[in-house]
Amino acid sequence: MRVENQIENGTDSKKSNGLSRMVYLMAPFIGIGIMLILWFSASAANPQAFPNPSAVLLLLYDLLFHPLSGYTLLGHVAISLRRVCIALFFAMLVGIPLGILMGWSRLMRATVGTLFECIRPIPVLAWIPLMIMWFGIGEKAKIIMIFIGALMPIVVNSYTGIKLVSPLYLDVGRMFNASSQSKLLLKIVLPAALPTIFAGIRNATSMSLMVVLAAEMLAAKSGLGFMINRGMEAYNMTLVMSGMVAIGVTGAMLSILTNMIERRICPWNSHTKSE
Amino acid sequence: MEQPHKVRVKLEHISKSFKNNSKSPNHEVIRDVSFKVYDNEFLVLLGPGRCGKSVLLNIMAGLLTADWGSVSLDGEQIKGPNPQIGMVFQKTGLLPWLTVMENTEFGPKMRGIGKTERQKLAQHFLNLVGLDGYEKNYPYQLSGGMKQRVGIARAYSNEPKLLIMDEPFGALDAQTRYNMQNEILDIAKKEKRTIIFVTNNIEEALLLGDRIILFTSCPAQIKNIYEINLPKPRDSMQKEFLRLRREISDNTDLAL
Repeated sequence: MRVENQIENGTDSKKSNGLSRMVYLMAPFIGIGIMLILWFSASAANPQAFPNPSAVLLLLYDLLFHPLSGYTLLGHVAISLRRVCIALFFAMLVGIPLGILMGWSRLMRATVGTLFECIRPIPVLAWIPLMIMWFGIGEKAKIIMIFIGALMPIVVNSYTGIKLVSPLYLDVGRMFNASSQSKLLLKIVLPAALPTIFAGIRNATSMSLMVVLAAEMLAAKSGLGFMINRGMEAYNMTLVMSGMVAIGVTGAMLSILTNMIERRICPWNSHTKSE
Repeated sequence: MEQPHKVRVKLEHISKSFKNNSKSPNHEVIRDVSFKVYDNEFLVLLGPGRCGKSVLLNIMAGLLTADWGSVSLDGEQIKGPNPQIGMVFQKTGLLPWLTVMENTEFGPKMRGIGKTERQKLAQHFLNLVGLDGYEKNYPYQLSGGMKQRVGIARAYSNEPKLLIMDEPFGALDAQTRYNMQNEILDIAKKEKRTIIFVTNNIEEALLLGDRIILFTSCPAQIKNIYEINLPKPRDSMQKEFLRLRREISDNTDLAL
């Protein structure tokens, strides 16, 4: 099978090396270009609702040096990222072991799993009133909300990752002197589940960005969500859009970073992603 | 052949059924199978597809337990996974997160053998299957035939008393399969081991086996045992080879 694939790929790339490579290199810029053209024409039609892209870029540049309510643009980004990172760290610390235990032990699955299934369908945003009641509007409430949002995909993926380990690998472990429960778990099941667990971390990262913005838009004095909210209150759509662009860039950076880490930790899996 | 050779493996009255569900009757896969495997013998188990050969292998390997009967290796009962038995899986079962070297040294590593010693051992068998230079590759970078070579090297590196090969070439294309058959003969000649080899291919069985045990279709029962006294490597066009092939073929049940 693989040999066939290689042969097919080989002829394919030979035929199309020059031209299609150019096309694929250009494609992302074409996409962004089309968006910019639409944006420019929209802002020409209604500058009130659609601020000019150049105005947005200028404001972003300006925010790099002139603080908005105490922080520069990078300051706001850093504050949002800090909240995300702390929450993600604790979500992994709790979620990965919990998911693994749920996947490995039937008793854990029966007790914690059922409870978890009941809590999971509640959207994170529904927790906001309670969080504010319990923890106020400070850092703690925001981080706990992000934590809840990030915990779900991490637990679910760790759990499915463990459940989906091929029985063949378990047989291999048993035949090659890794038949004790602890060795099976550490040497066979965990590495086999690692790519799925990582997919959960990737989902959790994008989830965290969503939650941090929601939390910051509701109640915060700093962060990207705060920037957008301030723009809304002041009827400054340029500021709103600047915030959106900053989030887009931050999110893209984060996903590139997680991809890099994943390639480092699961090098055997990188080929499935690049195709 | 029987007298001078020591008996290594002994199967006595093995039977096995699987429960499908409460309504349908149990699905019987093996019925009263007994045979012996002799020292350094290349024994081929031949039978139509899905006739319970793999189940029988898994029972011998200790991965499954039989409903009836017993399996012993050198006089000791097999009750559970046994490191004395090396297994080559049909679907290779290479661990994708380990390199070729790490896969090959996995057995001795789990047994707690030191790094230099186990890598020397693994390297020896990797060289034997012709994979020197590929130690640092991951399985996804290898072709089907190369993957199964790693599978064979891994089984040998575990230093088993008995090697079980479960249709190891079943997933390979015809040309690769043919090459691998010659190669396994070569390896078996250089590294004497007791080997049980399962296949559903009559020609493969005749090319490799010192003895061939022919099974019926489900439930698997022993239909006939053939002693193949042709010298190896064998010529598949030779008269006696073709005669045996016809004889076995006429005696084989059609698979459903």
